Parts: sequence; C-alpha cells; structure tokens
Amino acid sequence: MAWSNNLFYIVFAGQILLLSWYLPTKLLARMQHVLETYPPAKYPKLYPKPIEHYRMGHLLYKYANRCILLLGFAILLALMFWVDHATFADDGFISEAWPAVFGMLQFLPLIGVELSEFSNLKQMRQANSAARRVASLERRSFIDMVSPALLGMTVLLFVGAIVFDLYVHDFAVSWGHDTVHRAIVMSITNGLLATVGLLSFFGRKRDPHQSAEDRTHSVAVNLKALLFISMALSVFNLMSAAENLVHMQSFEAVLVSIYFQVIALLSVGYTLKNIKTEDLNFDVYRKDAAAI
Amino acid sequence: MQIVIDIENPNPPFAQLIEQIKQAVSSGQLAPGAPLPSIRQLASDLDLNNKTVAKAYRLLERDSVIQSRGYRGTFVHPDGQSNSSVDLNSWVVEQLQETIAAFRKAGVTDPEINNAFRNVMNESIITGG
Repeated sequence: MAWSNNLFYIVFAGQILLLSWYLPTKLLARMQHVLETYPPAKYPKLYPKPIEHYRMGHLLYKYANRCILLLGFAILLALMFWVDHATFADDGFISEAWPAVFGMLQFLPLIGVELSEFSNLKQMRQANSAARRVASLERRSFIDMVSPALLGMTVLLFVGAIVFDLYVHDFAVSWGHDTVHRAIVMSITNGLLATVGLLSFFGRKRDPHQSAEDRTHSVAVNLKALLFISMALSVFNLMSAAENLVHMQSFEAVLVSIYFQVIALLSVGYTLKNIKTEDLNFDVYRKDAAAI
Repeated sequence: MQIVIDIENPNPPFAQLIEQIKQAVSSGQLAPGAPLPSIRQLASDLDLNNKTVAKAYRLLERDSVIQSRGYRGTFVHPDGQSNSSVDLNSWVVEQLQETIAAFRKAGVTDPEINNAFRNVMNESIITGG
C-alpha cells in the first residue's frame, strides 16, 4: 500500500508540473512570441481586439496556472501528510478522484484560452470586409490527412476496450455496472471527439484569412490529436478493466494521473510540436494582404 | 488550382464559379476525370451558401463539363474540355433571335410572339415536355 502511494506522489507531482507549469509555459511563450514577432502595427488582421486585451489574457493565463500549480503542491503535501485516505475510499488507497478532479481544474485555463481564441476568430470574421474569396479546387479527403491504419487502430481499440471489459466480467453485466458506465462514457466521449473532428474537417473556415495550406495542415494535426486522445481513452479503459482482473485497485489513482498527463501531451503537446509558428503564413494578416 | 470569387462583382457567385471551372477545364488545368471538391467543402472555403455551389455544379453537370458519381463525388467529365467551350446561354439567345426575326418577317406582331412564347413555356412546364 505504501509503495503504491509513494508511486502516486511521484506521478501526481508529474501531473502538477506538466499540466500547470511545463505546457502552459510553452503555450504562453508561443503566444508572446506571436505578439512580439507579428505585432498589430504590421499584422492588424490578426488582432481584432485592442492589444491590451491579449496582454491581459496572457497575464490571466499565467497567474491562473501559477495558482493551480501552488494548489497542486498543497494538495500533494496534504495527501502525503494529513489526509486520511480511508475517509475517501473504502479500501484505504488514495482515491482516484484526487488526480481526476485536480486534472479537470488544470484544464480550465486551457479551456479559457480556447474560448478566447473562438471569440477572437469570430471578431476576425465580422471585421473581414474583403469581397474577394479564394478556395482551392482540390478535393480534401479524410484519408489524405489521417492514415487509414491510424483510423482503423482507433476504432479497433475502442471496440477492443469494450469487448475486453465485457470479457473480464464474463459478459455478465447488468445495467448500472461499472462496465456499462465505462462503455457509455467511452461512447459519449468518442462521439464528442468525432463531432469536433468532423466540424473541423467539414465545418466553415473559422479564420477568414488563413491560407489553404495552413488550414489543411492544422486540420490534419487536430484530427490526429483527436484520434490519439480516443486511443488513450481506450487504453485507459482497457487498463481499468485489467485492474479489476488482477486486483490492482491500489494503482487506480496512478492510472488516472498518468491518463491526464497523456491526454495533455497528446492534445496540447502534439499540437505545439506539430504546428510551428515559423511554418505558418502570417503575411495573410498584413493590412494590405489580398485573399490567399 | 485556385478559384476566386468576388462578391462585389455584378456577376452572381454561381456564374463566377461556372465560368472559372469551365476555364480551368478548357485550359487543361483540370484534366478529364479529375476530382472536384465537394459542394460542402467549396461552400465552406468560399463562405458561400451550399445552394449557390450546388446550383453551379448542377448547371455544369447539365453542360456535361462535370459529372457526379454518387457517393464517390464529382469529377471532370471525360468530354469536359470540348463541352466547356459550349455556352448554352448564348446559344439559346442566338436561336431565339433567329426565330423572332423569322416571325417578324412573316408579319407576326411582338405581343403575339410574346403570348405564344409564354403559352408554349407554360404548357411545357405543365406537361414536362
């Protein structure tokens, strides 16, 4: 028991640092780099709102993450020295709710950034008065962006995770059983991921100035990230089912913490690594830029 | 191959689409059998209504410049290059001008031509002929 708890402390410290320090620092550095390298004076179409709004947003994001980082370490210390784990879980092991709830809190600043980006793009569209619109006459195909093998593997893992969970329970599960819950949660989450992916592929162009090449590339990266997240979810459920099989409930909190870190790396980390600012065409945001 | 739509152009967007796709096909930039973007893709990229692109595609299909192959999508027609030089609109105008000139020569008045044309059109719409 002590061994699994000690392992959790290390993994949880990793979760705190990765989600509230490493990735936010990288993301913030990127946002500030864009603001400095492509200033509003030269690239006005990129900034439909006053510059102070973006600076304030960056500060808010930075301090929200710093607060969550401190809270994370406070929780870690509390879990190590003060919390009686038996009050949170019947078996006396560290409850998986700790990394799960804290993980959701860690994602909140990122959701804020996404919402702010959404509103920024909406204003860009409203401010766009260009009468000239350009499109490529080349057909975009789903499998040009995502390999069929990756897609097949994702579907296979999704089905495999559900079947394996049923197999572990001898295919004898009733309504309300954990297996049914897991299958429902997995189906809903995959449905949401699929909706986001389809909207990104078929939906309207959110950035009215973005070049066709940049759009294709960013959609491809988004689709791959979504597939990786779906695969991570399936693997997490496979491991949860396996945990029941080998009675390793003491590692449930460790597994949840690792899951949050993998999700963060596959979403934010993968996107940051594969969409480099130096590869993007910022000329489209210049004042005199024609539609490209 | 890019397509450019100017929404301030007096030509409606669907006509600009038709013109540019025909140009691309007749110049060989779009080869026979080449796949075209879906209606949804083109409408989304050009920020146009799906119906506008669908109308352009329908008229291009009527002129045998492109062909729809069900779920596989829309492609350039095998005879698209030769068909894209045919302008059905100007052909219709030319034919009507010749016919009207012949009627006038025979002494038919303009209101009589107008009434007859309207009646024939209405009849053909009703009978589907």
